[in-house]
Amino acid sequence: MATANGHIPHWVFVMEPQKCIDCEACMISCSVENQVPVGKHRNWIDHSSKGSFPDISLFFAPENCHHCSNPPCERVCPTGATFQREDGLVLIDYDKCIGCRYCMMACPYDARYFDEERGVVDKCTFCVHRLDAGQPPACVETCVGNARHFGDINDPDSEVSKLLATHQYTTIYPEAGTLPNIYYIID
Amino acid sequence: MPTTELSRISDFSGSATSLEWGVLVVIYLYTAGISAGMFAVSAFATYIGGGQYRRLARISALLAPWPLMLGLFMLIFDLGRPFHFWRLFTVVQYTSPMSIGSWLLTLFTIVSLIYLVLWLPWPIRRLLRLPQRLDELFSPSRWQPLSSVFVRRARGVLAAGGFGLSLGVGMYTGILLGAVPARPFWNTPMVAQLFLFSALSTGAAFVLLIASIGGDLIDPEGLHRERHLLVSIDASLIVMELFIIIPFFLHQALNTWSSASSVSLVLGGPYTYTFWIGVVLLGLLIPLAMEGYELFPLILKEGALKYSRQLGALSALLVLVGGFMLRYVFVYAGQLSHFLPIMAR
Repeated sequence: MATANGHIPHWVFVMEPQKCIDCEACMISCSVENQVPVGKHRNWIDHSSKGSFPDISLFFAPENCHHCSNPPCERVCPTGATFQREDGLVLIDYDKCIGCRYCMMACPYDARYFDEERGVVDKCTFCVHRLDAGQPPACVETCVGNARHFGDINDPDSEVSKLLATHQYTTIYPEAGTLPNIYYIID
Repeated sequence: MPTTELSRISDFSGSATSLEWGVLVVIYLYTAGISAGMFAVSAFATYIGGGQYRRLARISALLAPWPLMLGLFMLIFDLGRPFHFWRLFTVVQYTSPMSIGSWLLTLFTIVSLIYLVLWLPWPIRRLLRLPQRLDELFSPSRWQPLSSVFVRRARGVLAAGGFGLSLGVGMYTGILLGAVPARPFWNTPMVAQLFLFSALSTGAAFVLLIASIGGDLIDPEGLHRERHLLVSIDASLIVMELFIIIPFFLHQALNTWSSASSVSLVLGGPYTYTFWIGVVLLGLLIPLAMEGYELFPLILKEGALKYSRQLGALSALLVLVGGFMLRYVFVYAGQLSHFLPIMAR
């Protein structure tokens, strides 16, 4: 995980809701890339409204698993199936998962789904198989409006670090104490 | 609402259904509570009254493990991969209530089964023979039944230790839900208290129901004492439950926006009637009134316990129905509750 010079990356998403047009191409590419069961999703678009008529606007926010730095799903897992990697990824050891679904109760983002066929819980992996091969997640590559940015927040020269250095941003449910790793640009 | 706040108008997340835990989990939490309650009643009856509640202690001990074992079967059946349930017992995850609970329930089941054996009536218990010394291990003809002194002492030890475990099991069923910050409806310590008192109450009610059905066949005098004890325990617990439910609503309503909104699930939301009619009226207030009617002559020192078999059976049955409804409402409504987004800019 650590690169040759000992640098350990910490992967984050930076979303630009202003650029999201709700085309849902990210959801399609994710489903294809990760063979997500029909009716379940690893990523989605939040629809919010701002203001009231006539001064009203719609607001789209792409979302997926936040790979929280303090993940409640990992805390409640009775078998240790959900674990946190050195680079911040929160992943599931499918051999250890018994399908109790307690993690789904614990996730404030409802990012997890139950895969009935395999009897295990699953979710966004930040496309770990692509990441470990040096490629960005499928949803980032596909995003039409360039609303999804992905990168290493520990690298000050990365695109995400530069975006966060020059913009105001927020996270979802910071009050849950989960230390989420998806940032939303709000200016 | 200020116009600078965003309100989410659709909730489109990973899972198509937000009700992942169904009626099997409800049954499991309910039966675990009844078992814990019956064991606690048995342990209590073993220690108080100088032996006059021996029959009550025995009946409760003989009944205690069975509802829980049924519930554990339901729980394993509810898993996505039931045949992998043994993985729960390969680790102790200190931060996971379910992991701690699995170990606790296993220990409690073992203790309550040994306790059951110790309370078996003598004609059956004498069939159980154990080696007295190590060198007798391989010559079963020399094994002896347990001596009555040993049995009495062992009952005392297991009753005391198991009483703690039973309280733990009763609380665990609530902590399992309460320790989840993501579900504001559950996320209060009062859920553990409520489930514990409900567990003890439904345990007492289960014994009361059995006693009402067949208890006066032998020793009607003993039944009178036993009923007095059980009805007093149950009525006290119902009062405590009511005094948890009232602050539960006050606290939730005065808490954060997410918590305040979550109780609308039972205040006008889909579980309103189940909660207020099923749990509060049928499960708490009406049985409390019936048990109060039985106890009033004693409380006022104007006469004996008013007892009718029908009244006793009905109040016990209502407590049991109410306890089930309580688990049902909490398991279902809790899953529908969630944080509310406030993305101010």
